[in-house]
Amino acid sequence: MIRPLAGMARVGMRFQFAYRSDVIMSVVALVAQVFLLRMVWTSLYSGRESDPRGLTLEALLAYLSLANLQAFVTTPIIPMIAHFRIRTGTVFFDLSRPTGYLPQMAAFQAGHTAGGLLMLAPAIPVVLLVGTITPTEHPIGYAATLALGYVISVMMSLLICVIGFWTLETGAISLLYRLVSHFFAGTMVPLSFFPGALGVLADALPFKYMGYVPAAVYVGQLSGGQIGRAVAVEIGWIAALAGVLWAIWRRAHHKVVIQGG
Amino acid sequence: MIRVESLTKVFRRPHTFSGPLGPLRTLLTRRYDERTAVDGVSFEISAGEIVGYLGPNGAGKSTTVKMLTGILTPTSGLIEVDGRVPWRDREANARAVGVVFGQRSQLWWDLPLIDSLRLVGDLYDVPAARFAGSLRRMCDLLGLDDFLQTPVRQLSLGQRMRGDLAAAMLYDPPILYLDEPTVGLDVMAKQAVREFIAETNRLGRTTVVLTTHDLADVEALCERIILIDKGRVLYDGGIDDLVTAYAPPRRLVVELADDETRTFEIAAGRPIPELIAQVAAEHPIRDLSIREPDLEGVITRIYAESER
Amino acid sequence: MAEVVRALRLYWRLQRAAMRGALQYRLNLVIGIAAGVAYQGSGFAFVWVVMHTFPAVGGWSLREIAFLYGMRLTAHALYVLPFSSLIGLDWLVREGELDRVLLRPLNPLVQIMAKRLGVGQLGDLLAGLVLLVVALPPLGPASILFCLAAVVGGALVEAAVSLALASLALRTWNTLGVRAFADDLFSKFGSYPMSVFGGAAQWALTFVLPVAFVAYVPASVLLDRTGELNVPAPVAYGSPLLGVALFALAYRIWSRQLRHYQSTGT
Repeated sequence: MIRPLAGMARVGMRFQFAYRSDVIMSVVALVAQVFLLRMVWTSLYSGRESDPRGLTLEALLAYLSLANLQAFVTTPIIPMIAHFRIRTGTVFFDLSRPTGYLPQMAAFQAGHTAGGLLMLAPAIPVVLLVGTITPTEHPIGYAATLALGYVISVMMSLLICVIGFWTLETGAISLLYRLVSHFFAGTMVPLSFFPGALGVLADALPFKYMGYVPAAVYVGQLSGGQIGRAVAVEIGWIAALAGVLWAIWRRAHHKVVIQGG
Repeated sequence: MIRVESLTKVFRRPHTFSGPLGPLRTLLTRRYDERTAVDGVSFEISAGEIVGYLGPNGAGKSTTVKMLTGILTPTSGLIEVDGRVPWRDREANARAVGVVFGQRSQLWWDLPLIDSLRLVGDLYDVPAARFAGSLRRMCDLLGLDDFLQTPVRQLSLGQRMRGDLAAAMLYDPPILYLDEPTVGLDVMAKQAVREFIAETNRLGRTTVVLTTHDLADVEALCERIILIDKGRVLYDGGIDDLVTAYAPPRRLVVELADDETRTFEIAAGRPIPELIAQVAAEHPIRDLSIREPDLEGVITRIYAESER
Repeated sequence: MAEVVRALRLYWRLQRAAMRGALQYRLNLVIGIAAGVAYQGSGFAFVWVVMHTFPAVGGWSLREIAFLYGMRLTAHALYVLPFSSLIGLDWLVREGELDRVLLRPLNPLVQIMAKRLGVGQLGDLLAGLVLLVVALPPLGPASILFCLAAVVGGALVEAAVSLALASLALRTWNTLGVRAFADDLFSKFGSYPMSVFGGAAQWALTFVLPVAFVAYVPASVLLDRTGELNVPAPVAYGSPLLGVALFALAYRIWSRQLRHYQSTGT
């Protein structure tokens, strides 16, 4: 059970390295993005007396750098892989292995993320410097909310993979997902700045656990009981997504078996 | 029609470094890897000939054809096709040649075959009346009528190849380049393709350059072949002359009583009955036959000699 | 002249064929357009959300930023609609598809452009035009003309950079990452007043990668803000012409690289 999954994770990691020149460019793009946000927000804050929403400029910049790093690392690859494999029919090899399809995909994603982290490593000091990040007061809260947020992110992308069995086309859907999730994760603006209904919507969606929540914990905008509540809601999301995945997967698998016969 | 003189193509590409910083080093250093694909090739082909351009994989066949069609610019040497220099006068040259790649279709994948043929007619400025005539002729020669309205992606390989041949000949080019036109086809489809090529050559005096690995294509169509290996011409002339000149000895194949098969070369000038008698004296023979040298054997031998 | 008319006619024929092919994957198309709107929408949503709290970015009001954004987006859409198939050039070269393009008696760039219309990018055009019209300041006829010329010029600036970088793919370089990065810089940095980024970055975004000339410089002219620019006012007034010059240069680079095309080297 563990061996094949470890193998899948290794493939995911190697996949990341195979496209390293593209990845290097996107790391450069990440640094540029953080720089852009820094300059725009510094300009926005200039000349203001009080700190809006109780966020100092330093905390805000740290928040943005972290949220972007997180979003970069957690951006899922498996919808793309699944799309390709469903289109070319190679998905049947995945389905014929003794290990479940979804665990395989999850392992692939985990390996891919690990590879991404390795390659990102040289850029992290730069991003931290551009974003002026200082050590956090809630290291455990940050780690916990981020880890659970990552699990939510992987489960959401597994959902997209499974949808691919019906639509046979997940390229555009996964692009759409990436845009929507990045926006509602608060990678450009902290959710606390979202006005009215948009704020309510962003608060209700699970995307905030991939960006906003951990980063806000890190810079101290969320603390104490709020952290505990966030962790509890994250676990709730994971349980709910697990249920949905299980139900949809059963139907998808059924569909695949019929198509294959 | 086609004149090639000391044609040479050297591929030059940035040296790729391995390792994590490899791409960066590739970008920053000016080191190049060079590979000579075509090395001083010369030949002349006159109008109406069908010439087989043969060689093992990587011999430089495709590179030559790409230079003849103007896709690639030669490193040195001279090419003249129908009075033009292909790479300098690419578009005019394109109108004078039809090209078929067996491995790759030029047809529009998602559209019915007829749409692809119309687009090709547009691209080569074929007037409507002439297009109708050409299309009729192609349909008759290649039997396209059954699948003209079928999207190309649903065609069988044989049907697709017939569609590609039609697309290449719609605008009546005086020269036709065929790169493995029968690869992957079944016997019937191969036959249809060969008949079409022979017919086009006979009716329209089309000059045909054929590269293939299937020597049956060559035996059926070509009177002359040009053999190349490692970018150099090994032989240029008639097939019969080739077989005579390079003919490996005929061979005597005997099947022995214990199901073993042995082969004996028949040295030139030695009477065959004498050999048979000698073999029969030494072994219990159940059956025997004499193998005449064939093109395949000849060509295998030439390649083997050029290896040395 | 006859050659140009012929190229346009064939472009249209090929493009129509490509569209007929693409229409067989309708769902893909619809989602593609939606993704386009969402992508550009999320970019502007950022500005909109921020400006709920803050009155100005670099001294520009929300309306002015929206105008700048609209110009940038419309220019981008005008570039990407005809040039979207250039994105696949790396692939065309690697798969040997470019060979076929070179075998036909029509300008290779026209053939590549005709491979696909960026219908998905209709979303960009829509979003850009809406912003542009809504945020349009009161302009005289001459200014309107300048605005139109500037949008076309901006599209040509982006097209020029994209074409010049893409032509490196003809030398079998992997250009996808670099091009995506340049595209990213254009779309992210092009929509803000450059003074926000500070001297060095502004200089680089003006003279190294001419992002500023896509929308910021001409928008400054139309909003009467040429005093803030790091180029003299006459240059700013001539900015639409820069696109033409850059594109002509890029086309020369492209033609040169095409001559060095090595096919797949077999």
